[in-house]
Amino acid sequence: MQTRITHILAILLAALSLSCDSYLDLRPENGTVRQEFWQTKEDVQAAVIGIYSAMLNTPPSESDLTLAEYLFMYGELRGGMVSPAAFTSNDQSDIITTNILPSNSITTWSQFYRIINYCNTVIDLAPDVLEEDPTLTQEQLNNYLSEALAIRAYLYFTLAKSFKDVPLKLDATLSDGDNFQLETTPQDQIFAQVLVDLNDAERLSVEDYGNTPENKGRITKFAINAMQADLHLWLENYDEALVAADKIINSGQFELIDASPQWFTTVFALGNSTESIFELQYTPENRGPFYGIFLQQPQYLAAPAVLEEVFGVDFDEPENKDVRGERASLVPGTNEIYKFTGLNEDQRKALQESDTHWFVYRYSDALLMKAEALNELGRGAEAISIIEDLREKRAAIAQTQEQVSPQDQDGIRRYILAERAREFAFEGKRWFDVLRNARKNNYAYLDILLGVALRSAPANQQQSILAKLQDPNSHYLPINTFELYTNKALTQNPFYK
Amino acid sequence: MKTHLKGFKLTSVFILIALASMVFGCTQEKYKESTDETLNITEFLRANEEEYSLFLEILEVTDYASFMNTYGTYTLFLPTNAAIEGFLGDVGAGSISDVPLEDLQELAKLHILSDVVTTVEFNDGKIATPSLQGQFLITGASNINGESSITINKDSRIITSNLEVGNGVIHVIDKALRVADKTLAETIDADPELSLFAEAVRETGWYDVLDQPVTYDQDSISSHVSVLAQTNAIFQEAGLNSIEDLKARYSHLDDPTNPEDSLNLFVAYRIIPELDYLADLAVKSVVLTKAPLEVISVKLASDSLLLNEETFNGIFEPGVQINRAQSDITASNGVLHYVNDNFFIKKRFPAPVYFDVADQPEYRQLSAVFRKPGNYAELARSELSEVTWEGNEAFKMGYLAAATGDGAQLSQAWHGDVVELLRHRTGVINNLAFTTPVIIKGRYKIWVSYRQNARASSSVRVLFNGEALPRLINFTEYGNTELPERVLESQGYKRHLSVTTSRFNSRLAGIVEVPTTGRHTITLESLAYAGGQSWIDVIEFRPVDMDQLYPKFEAGGDGLIYE
Repeated sequence: MQTRITHILAILLAALSLSCDSYLDLRPENGTVRQEFWQTKEDVQAAVIGIYSAMLNTPPSESDLTLAEYLFMYGELRGGMVSPAAFTSNDQSDIITTNILPSNSITTWSQFYRIINYCNTVIDLAPDVLEEDPTLTQEQLNNYLSEALAIRAYLYFTLAKSFKDVPLKLDATLSDGDNFQLETTPQDQIFAQVLVDLNDAERLSVEDYGNTPENKGRITKFAINAMQADLHLWLENYDEALVAADKIINSGQFELIDASPQWFTTVFALGNSTESIFELQYTPENRGPFYGIFLQQPQYLAAPAVLEEVFGVDFDEPENKDVRGERASLVPGTNEIYKFTGLNEDQRKALQESDTHWFVYRYSDALLMKAEALNELGRGAEAISIIEDLREKRAAIAQTQEQVSPQDQDGIRRYILAERAREFAFEGKRWFDVLRNARKNNYAYLDILLGVALRSAPANQQQSILAKLQDPNSHYLPINTFELYTNKALTQNPFYK
Repeated sequence: MKTHLKGFKLTSVFILIALASMVFGCTQEKYKESTDETLNITEFLRANEEEYSLFLEILEVTDYASFMNTYGTYTLFLPTNAAIEGFLGDVGAGSISDVPLEDLQELAKLHILSDVVTTVEFNDGKIATPSLQGQFLITGASNINGESSITINKDSRIITSNLEVGNGVIHVIDKALRVADKTLAETIDADPELSLFAEAVRETGWYDVLDQPVTYDQDSISSHVSVLAQTNAIFQEAGLNSIEDLKARYSHLDDPTNPEDSLNLFVAYRIIPELDYLADLAVKSVVLTKAPLEVISVKLASDSLLLNEETFNGIFEPGVQINRAQSDITASNGVLHYVNDNFFIKKRFPAPVYFDVADQPEYRQLSAVFRKPGNYAELARSELSEVTWEGNEAFKMGYLAAATGDGAQLSQAWHGDVVELLRHRTGVINNLAFTTPVIIKGRYKIWVSYRQNARASSSVRVLFNGEALPRLINFTEYGNTELPERVLESQGYKRHLSVTTSRFNSRLAGIVEVPTTGRHTITLESLAYAGGQSWIDVIEFRPVDMDQLYPKFEAGGDGLIYE
């Protein structure tokens, strides 16, 4: 009897000691926990590359549109250069006609905050790896931090330009215990934080990764300078904007490519040209959303007036045309948006190789931002010469040339805006350009914005639209109903009462 | 014994506990019986009584409180207590009980629509669904001190919009809406600036017409009219200072009451026999007037509405601008607009009419369906005022706004919608007659565009005002996508959509002489058997001397695509 009990006990003990190990283990079987990650410099690199990856396509666990689509919609839908197409959703049409409700699904910002959280995680946790992995140098760490800081700054900058006041979260969300009830932070404070982050990022930044795809696909010092110039224009700090733009222009790393039949292929279809500062690097294996939304099931068309009013048509000599217009930005006749699906002047890319990048900043942006800063500083003649040089490179036609005197500051301002419409057609910049110019000097140029809205307004709604847009709050998107429901600390933009 | 006692004590404790638990346990557990706790309109008002008690009181006094709590689809424009107090002050009443019950009923009904209308559907004019009171509400937006709000009837501002409740949607407004109780004639009289116009209206006998309450004819078309008035100052600019001047200038028969007298026509030309707010005018190209066969053209130039702006024989004739700020005055029997210039009847030239047959006023009122992709509705003959057909009363005419990107490509139709006839043949639906929009006198080519269907009627005759046109239309025929389009045109076909698809086809039915300016009848008579749906997109009337191909229609959109 005694021995039997001993045997049973022994077996039980053995079983317990063997199985406990994995039985009581709470770590997930198919994931990595933080304690196991953030050990080596490879982990840090993987996390940083993960940020870029999330900017390209949404992680498979989430169903959301890509960042590029949001950048396109926020920057173009209200800019008057895009029309609805056969597959436009009602929510998209409502934004085109300035008929926006908080329930509009386009106003979901989760894609932005998801990537911001990835950046925050790197910024919070990467510095500790320095102690764990002696092969990680301070300089490498700085470079990684610079990338995360700059991307976070860019995303907050875009959010503040689109929504005005948004919640500001600068630390990583690591557990369910974190406080998710965040209040909105006013736009000017967001801008101030973006500036701090960009300046930090610049200090820590890389100038050259040693190869072109990384120089164009990762954050370099010049990408940060472009963001700084952009931000300073929004803040109306024209001296600083000029300094930042000059850093790019004087670096000697970039130049404009002459207009030729290959220009479109080099700059857009292939990408990573000498005109490029920062692009989202889609590849044939990891394609962007563009083939679907512009060609297969088009959600957007170029507005009917774009070809004639933006790029101009030379009726006497049809072959005389702006290299950026026909078969670069759009296809005449059908008004299909071509920039992201074309291979060259005649052919579109096939679906399998539709890897056209999303162009965040190009060299011409630095040039035109400089022109804008110069003009606001009263140096109109220099601004005009920048525009004229660019126009020459782009074979812009006489129909779109404007005769403005160097003293005509307002004329030059509108000329730059028109040139930006040609240069950056459908690159997600138009609405922000219009808004930035309209809000200068405390909304002294609201007529620019109203003019844009009037052109795309339905005939039976234009009076309401004009009256609504008199209110600066209406220039920003509402916080989505779902966000308000889950985060009670948020306050809705008062226009959307 | 001791242990026995102990055992007894223990047992009694157990029994006590068991009894207690039975007593408590027996009370019925409260299960939640409802699956949805969304409040209906009246409940919502009761739950927020501190803000809306006065309107709730009105609903209770008028006995509407209970039906506003039933399930349904309503839109309520909800005035706050401050708004109702303002209204009581305006009518000089101390409390709600001082206001006559009848007025309260009208007032309450004016604030309610029998359809769910969110602010997305608002435009610069009337909401497609009339209020229960019968008058239409007009929407807009205004900016006060840099803050923009949506407005109802011009000066009630929406404070909170699109509150969803169980039986509809609520928009809170800061000023109670008022029932327009003056007729057009009275409204014109009440404005001293319109005294000369009022005199002309009286002299010509139109006063009585403008003073009549709204009636409805057998097709339930209302007698609403729209008046284009002009102020004394505008008359003075044209050198007309008194009624004598007006008579001297216009009254060529010296008898203003004679319908053929030019002064009579002068007034009649300013009366549009339908309810057209400015937003309605903005989307029309031509409107009829009470002057026989005379029409006014409307053009939207940037943000101003111009009447009768034409280029004739190469000479540009500037239009007459409508005074936006003053216009859109609702009266009990119509709407009053102001113009910025004196004008008179103008000779008209043929202009194209693109008749989207699916754009019927009754479909337009189905605001959740009309041009909302992925929706379908059908109405019976008796429900449609501008379409009739022969056949069984049970068969209805369908309206289809296909879902974007539907496999059948029906969403590629102009405006994304088509009329659907299931079995277009004798005995089911045949001799389908549409009342056209206003067509100006002249010679026109008629093009009928449809979505091909192999089971539709293969032979349809088109009749204009009862006269058969030469070509029969085969609704089973695909569009040709290969021939050059001018060659195709010479064969009596064209591709009416841009972007084109072979699923749609457009056929020239023939050339007609439109005898008078006005609305006419176009009839589609099926001569063959049809087992499936026929889908009609648009019927075009293009003047013979106009380009017959361009502008084309935007596939799935509202635009016109020029060459």
